[in-house]
Amino acid sequence: MATTETTQFGVLEYDPQDIIQFPRGLPAFEDQTEFLLVEKAATLPVVFLQSLRDPGLSFITLPTLAIDPSYRLALSPEDLAALQLDPGRQPEEGREVVSLAIVTVKEGEAATANLMAPVVIHRAARQGLQALQPWTGYSHQHPLPGQGGQ
Amino acid sequence: MLVLRRRVGESILIGDGIEVSVIDISPTRVKLGILAPGAVFILRKELRQAEAENQAAARGVNRQAVEALVKQLRGG
Repeated sequence: MATTETTQFGVLEYDPQDIIQFPRGLPAFEDQTEFLLVEKAATLPVVFLQSLRDPGLSFITLPTLAIDPSYRLALSPEDLAALQLDPGRQPEEGREVVSLAIVTVKEGEAATANLMAPVVIHRAARQGLQALQPWTGYSHQHPLPGQGGQ
Repeated sequence: MLVLRRRVGESILIGDGIEVSVIDISPTRVKLGILAPGAVFILRKELRQAEAENQAAARGVNRQAVEALVKQLRGG
Protein backbone atom coordinates (compact mmCIF):
# COMPACT_ATOMS: atom_id res chain seq x y z
CA MET A 1 0.00 0.00 0.00
CA ALA A 2 1.16 3.53 -0.71
CA THR A 3 0.06 6.82 0.80
CA THR A 4 -0.35 10.39 -0.40
CA GLU A 5 -1.10 13.54 1.57
CA THR A 6 -4.24 15.08 0.04
CA THR A 7 -6.07 18.31 0.79
CA GLN A 8 -9.49 16.69 0.56
CA PHE A 9 -8.90 13.46 2.53
CA GLY A 10 -5.74 14.05 4.53
CA VAL A 11 -3.47 11.01 4.31
CA LEU A 12 -4.93 8.68 1.70
CA GLU A 13 -3.89 5.04 1.64
CA TYR A 14 -4.11 3.33 -1.73
CA ASP A 15 -3.00 0.35 -3.75
CA PRO A 16 -0.65 1.43 -6.56
CA GLN A 17 -2.52 -1.08 -8.74
CA ASP A 18 -5.54 1.22 -8.53
CA ILE A 19 -3.79 4.18 -10.18
CA ILE A 20 -5.48 5.22 -13.40
CA GLN A 21 -3.35 6.72 -16.17
CA PHE A 22 -4.63 9.76 -18.01
CA PRO A 23 -1.93 10.25 -20.66
CA ARG A 24 -3.55 13.46 -21.92
CA GLY A 25 -4.60 14.64 -18.46
CA LEU A 26 -7.87 16.62 -18.50
CA PRO A 27 -8.79 19.81 -20.43
CA ALA A 28 -7.05 22.69 -18.60
CA PHE A 29 -5.13 20.13 -16.51
CA GLU A 30 -3.04 18.37 -19.15
CA ASP A 31 -0.17 17.66 -16.76
CA GLN A 32 -2.35 15.70 -14.33
CA THR A 33 -1.71 12.22 -15.67
CA GLU A 34 -2.41 9.97 -12.68
CA PHE A 35 -5.64 9.75 -10.72
CA LEU A 36 -7.34 7.60 -8.12
CA LEU A 37 -11.08 7.03 -7.79
CA VAL A 38 -12.05 7.59 -4.16
CA GLU A 39 -15.43 6.70 -2.70
CA LYS A 40 -16.43 7.20 0.93
CA ALA A 41 -19.62 5.74 2.44
CA ALA A 42 -20.55 9.11 3.95
CA THR A 43 -20.49 10.92 0.61
CA LEU A 44 -21.90 8.34 -1.82
CA PRO A 45 -22.88 8.52 -4.64
CA VAL A 46 -20.07 11.04 -5.13
CA VAL A 47 -16.90 9.59 -6.63
CA PHE A 48 -13.83 11.77 -6.12
CA LEU A 49 -11.26 11.92 -8.89
CA GLN A 50 -8.10 12.54 -6.86
CA SER A 51 -4.92 13.60 -8.63
CA LEU A 52 -1.67 11.97 -7.56
CA ARG A 53 0.48 14.56 -9.34
CA ASP A 54 -1.15 17.40 -7.38
CA PRO A 55 -2.54 16.14 -4.05
CA GLY A 56 -4.42 19.42 -3.68
CA LEU A 57 -6.44 18.68 -6.82
CA SER A 58 -9.61 16.66 -6.46
CA PHE A 59 -12.74 16.65 -8.62
CA ILE A 60 -16.26 15.84 -7.45
CA THR A 61 -17.88 13.47 -9.94
CA LEU A 62 -21.07 11.45 -10.23
CA PRO A 63 -21.68 8.34 -12.31
CA THR A 64 -23.45 9.51 -15.47
CA LEU A 65 -26.16 6.88 -15.02
CA ALA A 66 -26.85 8.22 -11.52
CA ILE A 67 -27.59 11.62 -13.08
CA ASP A 68 -29.64 10.27 -15.99
CA PRO A 69 -30.42 6.54 -16.25
CA SER A 70 -30.90 6.86 -20.02
CA TYR A 71 -27.45 8.41 -20.58
CA ARG A 72 -25.37 6.57 -23.17
CA LEU A 73 -21.74 7.08 -24.12
CA ALA A 74 -20.91 8.23 -27.66
CA LEU A 75 -17.13 7.80 -27.75
CA SER A 76 -15.22 8.67 -30.91
CA PRO A 77 -13.04 6.01 -32.60
CA GLU A 78 -9.96 7.95 -31.43
CA ASP A 79 -11.14 7.85 -27.80
CA LEU A 80 -12.05 4.16 -28.03
CA ALA A 81 -8.54 3.44 -29.33
CA ALA A 82 -6.88 5.62 -26.67
CA LEU A 83 -8.75 3.68 -23.99
CA GLN A 84 -7.76 0.34 -25.56
CA LEU A 85 -11.40 -0.52 -26.11
CA ASP A 86 -13.04 -2.40 -28.97
CA PRO A 87 -13.25 0.21 -31.78
CA GLY A 88 -16.41 -1.28 -33.20
CA ARG A 89 -18.91 -0.51 -30.42
CA GLN A 90 -19.65 1.64 -27.40
CA PRO A 91 -18.45 0.07 -24.12
CA GLU A 92 -20.77 -1.17 -21.39
CA GLU A 93 -21.00 1.36 -18.57
CA GLY A 94 -20.45 -0.06 -15.11
CA ARG A 95 -18.90 -3.26 -16.37
CA GLU A 96 -16.12 -2.45 -18.83
CA VAL A 97 -15.88 1.24 -18.13
CA VAL A 98 -16.64 3.76 -15.43
CA SER A 99 -18.40 6.84 -16.83
CA LEU A 100 -18.34 9.92 -14.60
CA ALA A 101 -19.46 13.52 -14.98
CA ILE A 102 -17.39 16.24 -13.31
CA VAL A 103 -19.56 18.34 -11.01
CA THR A 104 -19.17 22.10 -10.64
CA VAL A 105 -20.38 23.41 -7.28
CA LYS A 106 -20.84 27.17 -7.19
CA GLU A 107 -21.68 29.26 -4.14
CA GLY A 108 -25.29 30.38 -4.26
CA GLU A 109 -26.03 28.61 -7.54
CA ALA A 110 -27.30 25.18 -8.49
CA ALA A 111 -24.57 22.56 -8.97
CA THR A 112 -24.14 21.26 -12.53
CA ALA A 113 -22.51 18.26 -14.17
CA ASN A 114 -20.61 18.12 -17.46
CA LEU A 115 -22.53 15.42 -19.34
CA MET A 116 -21.19 16.65 -22.67
CA ALA A 117 -17.66 15.57 -21.76
CA PRO A 118 -17.72 12.55 -19.44
CA VAL A 119 -14.61 11.15 -17.79
CA VAL A 120 -14.36 7.58 -19.05
CA ILE A 121 -12.13 4.97 -17.43
CA HIS A 122 -11.40 1.54 -18.90
CA ARG A 123 -11.25 -0.52 -15.73
CA ALA A 124 -9.07 -3.43 -16.83
CA ALA A 125 -6.54 -1.28 -18.70
CA ARG A 126 -6.55 1.41 -16.00
CA GLN A 127 -6.66 4.11 -18.66
CA GLY A 128 -8.82 7.20 -18.53
CA LEU A 129 -9.67 10.35 -20.45
CA GLN A 130 -12.28 13.08 -20.64
CA ALA A 131 -14.24 12.47 -23.85
CA LEU A 132 -15.40 15.55 -25.76
CA GLN A 133 -18.47 13.97 -27.24
CA PRO A 134 -20.48 15.18 -30.21
CA TRP A 135 -23.70 16.93 -29.32
CA THR A 136 -26.14 14.29 -28.10
CA GLY A 137 -28.44 16.69 -26.28
CA TYR A 138 -26.49 16.77 -23.02
CA SER A 139 -25.03 20.01 -21.75
CA HIS A 140 -21.66 20.76 -20.18
CA GLN A 141 -23.75 22.36 -17.42
CA HIS A 142 -26.49 19.80 -16.83
CA PRO A 143 -28.53 20.67 -13.72
CA LEU A 144 -28.42 18.03 -10.99
CA PRO A 145 -31.51 16.35 -9.53
CA GLY A 146 -32.80 17.21 -6.09
CA GLN A 147 -32.34 20.94 -6.25
CA GLY A 148 -35.33 22.99 -5.20
CA GLY A 149 -36.18 26.51 -6.20
CA GLN A 150 -34.44 26.47 -9.58
CA MET B 1 -25.02 35.52 -35.24
CA LEU B 2 -24.31 35.90 -38.96
CA VAL B 3 -25.56 32.85 -40.89
CA LEU B 4 -24.18 32.15 -44.37
CA ARG B 5 -24.51 29.31 -46.84
CA ARG B 6 -21.29 28.13 -48.47
CA ARG B 7 -20.52 25.41 -50.97
CA VAL B 8 -17.41 23.23 -51.00
CA GLY B 9 -14.46 25.36 -52.02
CA GLU B 10 -16.00 28.65 -50.88
CA SER B 11 -14.57 30.79 -48.07
CA ILE B 12 -15.40 33.38 -45.45
CA LEU B 13 -13.06 36.19 -44.36
CA ILE B 14 -13.13 37.26 -40.70
CA GLY B 15 -11.39 40.32 -39.24
CA ASP B 16 -7.76 40.77 -40.20
CA GLY B 17 -6.20 37.72 -41.76
CA ILE B 18 -8.67 34.98 -40.81
CA GLU B 19 -10.11 32.79 -43.55
CA VAL B 20 -12.48 29.87 -43.09
CA SER B 21 -12.93 27.54 -46.08
CA VAL B 22 -15.33 24.68 -46.64
CA ILE B 23 -13.18 21.74 -47.73
CA ASP B 24 -15.70 18.91 -47.76
CA ILE B 25 -19.29 18.24 -46.88
CA SER B 26 -20.81 14.89 -45.88
CA PRO B 27 -24.33 14.13 -44.64
CA THR B 28 -23.36 14.65 -40.99
CA ARG B 29 -20.10 16.63 -41.00
CA VAL B 30 -18.48 19.60 -42.67
CA LYS B 31 -14.69 19.76 -43.04
CA LEU B 32 -13.39 23.28 -42.49
CA GLY B 33 -9.95 24.74 -43.22
CA ILE B 34 -8.90 27.73 -41.13
CA LEU B 35 -6.11 30.18 -41.89
CA ALA B 36 -5.26 32.59 -39.09
CA PRO B 37 -2.29 34.44 -37.61
CA GLY B 38 -0.39 32.36 -35.02
CA ALA B 39 -1.56 34.53 -32.14
CA VAL B 40 -5.22 33.72 -32.79
CA PHE B 41 -6.44 30.60 -30.96
CA ILE B 42 -8.58 28.10 -32.81
CA LEU B 43 -10.23 25.29 -30.92
CA ARG B 44 -13.38 23.24 -30.83
CA LYS B 45 -15.99 24.95 -28.69
CA GLU B 46 -16.60 21.91 -26.51
CA LEU B 47 -12.90 21.86 -25.56
CA ARG B 48 -13.07 25.45 -24.30
CA GLN B 49 -16.29 24.62 -22.44
CA ALA B 50 -14.67 21.56 -20.82
CA GLU B 51 -11.60 23.59 -19.81
CA ALA B 52 -13.75 26.28 -18.21
CA GLU B 53 -15.92 23.75 -16.39
CA ASN B 54 -12.90 21.82 -15.10
CA GLN B 55 -11.30 24.98 -13.74
CA ALA B 56 -14.53 26.05 -12.05
CA ALA B 57 -15.10 22.52 -10.73
CA ALA B 58 -11.60 22.29 -9.23
CA ARG B 59 -12.02 25.66 -7.50
CA GLY B 60 -15.31 24.71 -5.87
CA VAL B 61 -14.22 21.54 -4.08
CA ASN B 62 -14.37 21.82 -0.28
CA ARG B 63 -15.96 19.88 2.57
CA GLN B 64 -19.08 22.04 2.88
CA ALA B 65 -19.71 21.93 -0.86
CA VAL B 66 -19.50 18.12 -0.87
CA GLU B 67 -21.80 17.79 2.16
CA ALA B 68 -24.37 20.15 0.67
CA LEU B 69 -24.29 18.29 -2.64
CA VAL B 70 -24.70 14.85 -1.03
CA LYS B 71 -27.59 16.10 1.11
CA GLN B 72 -29.34 17.50 -1.95
CA LEU B 73 -28.80 14.34 -4.02
CA ARG B 74 -30.24 12.18 -1.26
CA GLY B 75 -33.35 14.34 -1.30
CA GLY B 76 -32.61 16.18 1.92
